[in-house]
Amino acid sequence: MTDESAGAGLSRRALLGSAAAALPVAALPLLLTACKGVQALGTPPPPAPSIDRLRATIRAEELVVATYAAAIAHLQASGTAGAGSALAAAHTVQAEHTEHLAQLRSRLIEPAGAPSPHASPLPTPAIQAGASPSDILAALEHAEQAASDRLIGDLAGLPPALAQLFASIAASEATHVPFLQAAAQT
Amino acid sequence: MTTTSANAAAVAALQHALAAEQAASYGYGVVGAYLTAGSAAENTAGTYWIAHMRARDQLTEMISARGATPVASAVAYELPFPVASAATAARLAATIEDRVTRAYLLLVAVPQAGPRGFGAEQVRAAALRAESWRGSTEAFPGLPASSLRR
Repeated sequence: MTDESAGAGLSRRALLGSAAAALPVAALPLLLTACKGVQALGTPPPPAPSIDRLRATIRAEELVVATYAAAIAHLQASGTAGAGSALAAAHTVQAEHTEHLAQLRSRLIEPAGAPSPHASPLPTPAIQAGASPSDILAALEHAEQAASDRLIGDLAGLPPALAQLFASIAASEATHVPFLQAAAQT
Repeated sequence: MTTTSANAAAVAALQHALAAEQAASYGYGVVGAYLTAGSAAENTAGTYWIAHMRARDQLTEMISARGATPVASAVAYELPFPVASAATAARLAATIEDRVTRAYLLLVAVPQAGPRGFGAEQVRAAALRAESWRGSTEAFPGLPASSLRR
């Protein structure tokens, strides 16, 4: 009887069982790990810095859109002189911010089933109740300039296409300042 | 990207921006010729023309510092449309700024912090000048529609 023929009558299960029994103890964790699948590979690496910055920018843009919604509600309620042109300007700019937000969100691709990062509630938009149209526009201008500066200062290390999107949005937000100033003067 | 190819990419983008600034400097000469002397628009055009000349000089220095020869300006440039009035001159100025914005956005794609930062500041400056000529804003200055996701 040869060795080959000696194995011919054994089941596959029995062969695997005897093989495992013959392994040294140190090899067992490796086998067990193999049974656990992907989870045993360890926690996923942290997101790239550019992903974190994109998430932060999306969050900031959401706040700007919310600020415009609050500003528009205040202007609609005020009914004072100057509210009409301020309202029209605020609607125009809010629409552009909504486009910014859509483009930024389209660049954030997360694996299916990945837990979304904890999102705290948006802070209250900085529009004072009872503010005049010119005060509201001044607050919006301040927010626009700050948002533009933040984006310009956040370009280092970003992939080229994302850097271009950030720079273009920064430019758009900067142009909102004189646009709102002009509305305040009419 | 190797250091050599990164430098070559930066130089190419800087040369493109320089060519756009040279065309802008020429174009503002045409714009100024059709604006009323002493008007606010003429003063604005003069201020912007100086800004383009300064940017041109900065680009020239940046290119030379990288060991390359700055591109020479053309003797004359073809205008995108006929200019015969203050209104068409203002439209030409806005068009010039759009082209400059696009050129600087290519510089923003360069990974090196210096050219990218300069490009981003110039994208913003050109978009602001375009807004002042048009009185309206854009959601994505300089970005072609094809680069936007729908």
